[in-house]
Amino acid sequence: MVVIAVTGKGGTGKTVISALLVHFLSRNHNLLAVDSDPDSNLPEALGVTPKKTLGEIREVFQASRDEMGTMNKEQWLEGKIYSEAITEADNFDLLVMGRPEGEGCYCFANSLLRGVLRRLMRHYDVIIIDTEAGLEHFSRGTISGADYIVVVTDMSKKGLSTAKRIKELSSELKLNFKKIFLVGNRIMDGGGEVIKSFADEEGIELLDLLPYSEEIVKLDVKGEPIVLMDENSDYARRIRKIASRLVGDGNGKDEH
Amino acid sequence: MVERKKIEIPADVKKIESVGEEAEFPFDISPMYEGERIRKNEMHVELGGTEQPGFELVLALPEEEVEDMKVTVVGPDLEEMEEGKAYPYAMIYYVAGSQVETDLEPVIERRNHDFQNYLEGYMHLNQRYDIWIRIGKGSVKKGLKSLVQIAKATMMLFKNELPFIEKIEALYITDATLVEKTLNEVAMPIYEERDARVEALHDEDVDEFYSCTLCQSFAPTNVCVISPDRPSLCGAISWFDGRAAAKVDPEGPNRAVPKGDLVDEVGGEYSGVNEFAKEESGGEYERIKLHSFFEYPHTSCGCFEVIGFYMPEVDGIGWVHRGYAEPAPNGLPFSTMAGQTGGGKQIAGFLGVGISYFRSKKFIQADGGWYRVVWMPKDLKERIAKYIPDDVRDKIATEEDAKTIDELKEFLKKVNHPVVTGVVRPVDGKKITDGWVEEEEVVEEAVAEEVEAPAQPVQQPVQMQPMQMQPMQMPMQLPLQLPQLPAQQAGGVRLVIKDAKIYIDKIVIKKPEEKKKGGK
Repeated sequence: MVVIAVTGKGGTGKTVISALLVHFLSRNHNLLAVDSDPDSNLPEALGVTPKKTLGEIREVFQASRDEMGTMNKEQWLEGKIYSEAITEADNFDLLVMGRPEGEGCYCFANSLLRGVLRRLMRHYDVIIIDTEAGLEHFSRGTISGADYIVVVTDMSKKGLSTAKRIKELSSELKLNFKKIFLVGNRIMDGGGEVIKSFADEEGIELLDLLPYSEEIVKLDVKGEPIVLMDENSDYARRIRKIASRLVGDGNGKDEH
Repeated sequence: MVERKKIEIPADVKKIESVGEEAEFPFDISPMYEGERIRKNEMHVELGGTEQPGFELVLALPEEEVEDMKVTVVGPDLEEMEEGKAYPYAMIYYVAGSQVETDLEPVIERRNHDFQNYLEGYMHLNQRYDIWIRIGKGSVKKGLKSLVQIAKATMMLFKNELPFIEKIEALYITDATLVEKTLNEVAMPIYEERDARVEALHDEDVDEFYSCTLCQSFAPTNVCVISPDRPSLCGAISWFDGRAAAKVDPEGPNRAVPKGDLVDEVGGEYSGVNEFAKEESGGEYERIKLHSFFEYPHTSCGCFEVIGFYMPEVDGIGWVHRGYAEPAPNGLPFSTMAGQTGGGKQIAGFLGVGISYFRSKKFIQADGGWYRVVWMPKDLKERIAKYIPDDVRDKIATEEDAKTIDELKEFLKKVNHPVVTGVVRPVDGKKITDGWVEEEEVVEEAVAEEVEAPAQPVQQPVQMQPMQMQPMQMPMQLPLQLPQLPAQQAGGVRLVIKDAKIYIDKIVIKKPEEKKKGGK
């Protein structure tokens, strides 16, 4: 199992990159895509209509737990997650974490969730998590850890300072990740130099500097799934390279 | 009780039988397969689930009736099933053993989920009448032909893991008519019976309670003790949940707490709980009474769904839940009271509980139970109305009846609430409060005759404790220095208070002339 968390400042294109990684990697791997950013729209980027979010299931649990009698609550929650929170797409499963909890105590619900997710996740070859810069689900332990953290940044100063914060945060959270990578996105007119020197300073491996893509913008404007983009475009080819760099050659072999 | 007997199999339905242990299985068996999800396009067939009826049931039978390691499959077997389709499914296990009793049926039944998930390529979800199974194409390719193989592997695990099962026999049904019939006529009544038994299970019926320390990161001294009559404060964990969790992870957040000796039956105090409280709170608390509001109450974590608050003016207890944003009659909203009480403190006069505690037969029984309750928001009251005794239900005010202490007093007097004349606690018939009239007399007496005698031992109101102040523990027999009384009294007062915790927000000393009749 390889867990890849894709993160970065909002608007840098991390959802586009996550979606394309899911799209390419799910051809050869048993894959789970996790949307753990309340503001993101990974399902739309993938062209999948999601079922319920994990947050919604948790609310149903909170509301109905008093009526469960001697039923086992963990089994109840597990059944709901497997049947109502996981969306089966053609080549992969999708789990949307949804909004954070409301008022009241979620200690028990979250403790059960952690157990269910841990058992569920270990059966996938690859897990791609599109996550917000705060890494909330990691800090809460709902998702127990990531092998690789891919930080996406654009040329903006803010994008880079968020990247720096994520690096610090992931060390603080003791995520036990093997490596943290940087991907520059929407790079124009030699803007890559800033990112390169940032990567050097911070000691983060730079995976690639992705160009600004007219095609992505067009799909975005039309509201069409990003995975419809031309597979042979420069952008898509570069993502495929990143994918095999992260996971291996598609035969389950890890390049690291 | 529903009679325990074998299911009758109609003569005209196809069935296969097999006895004895299987030497080999075409699938791997290991806990590492737990959580394995079989996707729709990898599935051979689906059993039960949303499209078809399905259930699982364990029946304890006399030893001579159970044929060990026998499997009967009634209806189409795996090989006769069409790929990609869903079928009805019942898994019934007859178990016997010298220690196997009806009470153990649900405990054994729950393990079916665990054991079946050890089987490679077999996904089992949910419980009781909700079961959902998927069998993977991969297993069929590897040689899985019959449900007999599944049943034999499961029974083997039952016997290995639960040695008290001496004999086990399985009946798997895929015949739609028989699944429906058995579900309605046998399984459902048994599930209902079990739930009814839960309501009848009390603290005295079990040997151990369970702790919960999930909240200790927020409330380090909190000690949640979960008993049959007292669910967790957050409302999420029942005694059954505690037991299930403790079994899976004995050193985890829910651990078994042996009850020990019964110290106070009415208050619900046990030596084992006290020891545990001491240990878990780092020595902060030495005693906890599970069903007491005033004396050594349970600590309050911060997660609680409802907070109870004592109102000395009416000598009654109000409850307000998290969802009610307005101030309670004591002038404080939930958030303020919760903020002061939470964090794992044991505070007499305030108590955090889970909503399901209102269902408990021992609900604050030491302090009069429902007969001491005077106010709760309408929302909350409606949710739990059926658990309130008939003779006091209409006497408990909501925000529609009273929003302030004065309105509450008026209402309680009008409906003649037990607190007005004195509460008799149902648990032992003891009269525990004197009611308002007497209380006023005490006050009058103390004021009028203060020259003459030490004040009467103070009644319940000594336990009042308005907020905004840290609790202060008074040493025993501490002479209390009262401010100088206005000149007209000579001689002064000597007040001796023994073994009391006093919380005073404000003392108003008035001249006797200002005294009014009627307590308003």
